[in-house]
Amino acid sequence: MLQANNRPNIYCETLGPDQFGIVEKPLTLAEQIYNKVWLRKTFILVVLALAWEIYGRWLDNPLLVPPFSAAVQALITDVANGTIPKRALSSIEVLLVGFAIGTALAGLLTVLAISSKIGTDFLETMTAMFNPLPAIALLPLALIWFGLGAGSLIFVLVHSVMWAVSLNMLAGFRSVSTTARMVGRNYNLKGLRFVARILVPAAFPSILAGLKIGWAFAWRTLIAAELVFGVSSGQGGLGWYIFESKNQLEIPDVFAGLLTIILIGLAVENVVFRLIEARTVQRWGMQT
Amino acid sequence: MTGGSALASKTGTTATMSTPRSRTEPETGRPLLDVRGVTMQYKTQAHLVTATYRVSFSVLQGDRFVVVGPSGCGKSTLLKAVGGYLAPIEGEIRLKGERIARPGPDRMMVFQEFDQLLPWKTVVENVAFPLNMTGKLRAKAADERAMHYLEKVRLTDFAQSYPHTLSGGMKQRVAIARGMAMEPDILLMDEPFAALDALTRSHMQDELLALWDETRFTVLFVTHSIPEAIKLGNRILLLSPHPGQVKAEINSVPRGQENSNEAAALGREIHDMLFADQIKKVPDASGE
Repeated sequence: MLQANNRPNIYCETLGPDQFGIVEKPLTLAEQIYNKVWLRKTFILVVLALAWEIYGRWLDNPLLVPPFSAAVQALITDVANGTIPKRALSSIEVLLVGFAIGTALAGLLTVLAISSKIGTDFLETMTAMFNPLPAIALLPLALIWFGLGAGSLIFVLVHSVMWAVSLNMLAGFRSVSTTARMVGRNYNLKGLRFVARILVPAAFPSILAGLKIGWAFAWRTLIAAELVFGVSSGQGGLGWYIFESKNQLEIPDVFAGLLTIILIGLAVENVVFRLIEARTVQRWGMQT
Repeated sequence: MTGGSALASKTGTTATMSTPRSRTEPETGRPLLDVRGVTMQYKTQAHLVTATYRVSFSVLQGDRFVVVGPSGCGKSTLLKAVGGYLAPIEGEIRLKGERIARPGPDRMMVFQEFDQLLPWKTVVENVAFPLNMTGKLRAKAADERAMHYLEKVRLTDFAQSYPHTLSGGMKQRVAIARGMAMEPDILLMDEPFAALDALTRSHMQDELLALWDETRFTVLFVTHSIPEAIKLGNRILLLSPHPGQVKAEINSVPRGQENSNEAAALGREIHDMLFADQIKKVPDASGE
């Protein structure tokens, strides 16, 4: 029997790379297809559309739920005759203005908040007060202050975007690591240059999340505002289109309007924000 | 400037230890970095902590000056004070006779944390960024300088990679290249190899020494590892813990003898001084 102190040394020869059966091999076609995110998502959409179509046909009451095909047909007709693009464009125009102003104000408030204690308190108090306040609740006031038209819509949009975005920006700025801050100061970066060169990129994942939430809030607020106070926007947007179609009992058109909103939402989320993410936080390894 | 007066006031300990040292560039007798009677304090939630008490030392041009001590001796706090991030409550720190008041690119920091590289910039951009920001070099010249120093740390192949794709050792090499590219008066290194595995650490130490042979930069290096201090330093400052006080300032063994008996004896000596059960009271440096 071997004693603990007289075990021999053992040396081994390792095999060369040509000696193994499989070192690396491609996945099967099915696995490769399943790994494509867009394919999986498309599949889900197709299943949902099919379920809608079947239910619509089974119900056979186009005034309640027209089948998917009828909605798509209405969508195609109104896109072709230019109604929906015009309405969508007028909505998006107002939306972008409101979103831009809201984001800019949020940036300003957050920079003030990180540069002084009173600024932080101000932002925290304001967000605590106004973030839970639905933007629509301000619309009656906005109509009195800014009259019928884009002005009051932009006002409520700014309100709905600003607080959500600034909350996220502030959280992002606060989570920037001490080391990154010290590196920035080591380079003599101060004030706005420090914010722009160090804090904003370092907090970009949070800022982007804030922008996404802000964008969703803005859409909801705008459509709701147009639905409730439809005439408030002179030329009428998508919300007003839905409202009109309902009044004329053109239910497939109502669905076409809803579909348009969904499609624009999907496009912005999956194209615009996806592209920004791929170019920034994913490339930088700040998000997996 | 009366250069001699500052050197005259030495603590009893250092006076007995200091021997005439041969210099490649004796800078008109004045030390490059002069730390005089520096007491550092910081506040936690419940306590006011004295990190260092009346620490004095001076670093000459071309020194590899290592501060070594157990955790809690305030060596990192001291380095941050030299970096200009913290202000001493007593005493003063002068670089080339100028009192240090704020962080600046004449004292480039290399941190222990891997997140000191800006994740939104590629390796070469990370090295060129401080050159651009401080206006030292512009655009193309900055890139060329950055590539030159990346070549020195053998990372040219990774110049266009983002930091998150690099290993820990490579990240620290980028940080060192970034510090050296600025050609600062003094390079401050805060345990830059502490988070690396033992093999990589030993390799990085050799590389740092090779770089020093090439450019003879001045470096102030903080570590808790006695072997690292003996290997890297030509002059070693020993700090006792709670609060950090100068225990000794001694010469290291000659280069390339870090495995000799002499080095082992020095290591034991340092160890005994730092971890002696009865910490002998070091005479006050103030002599008031």
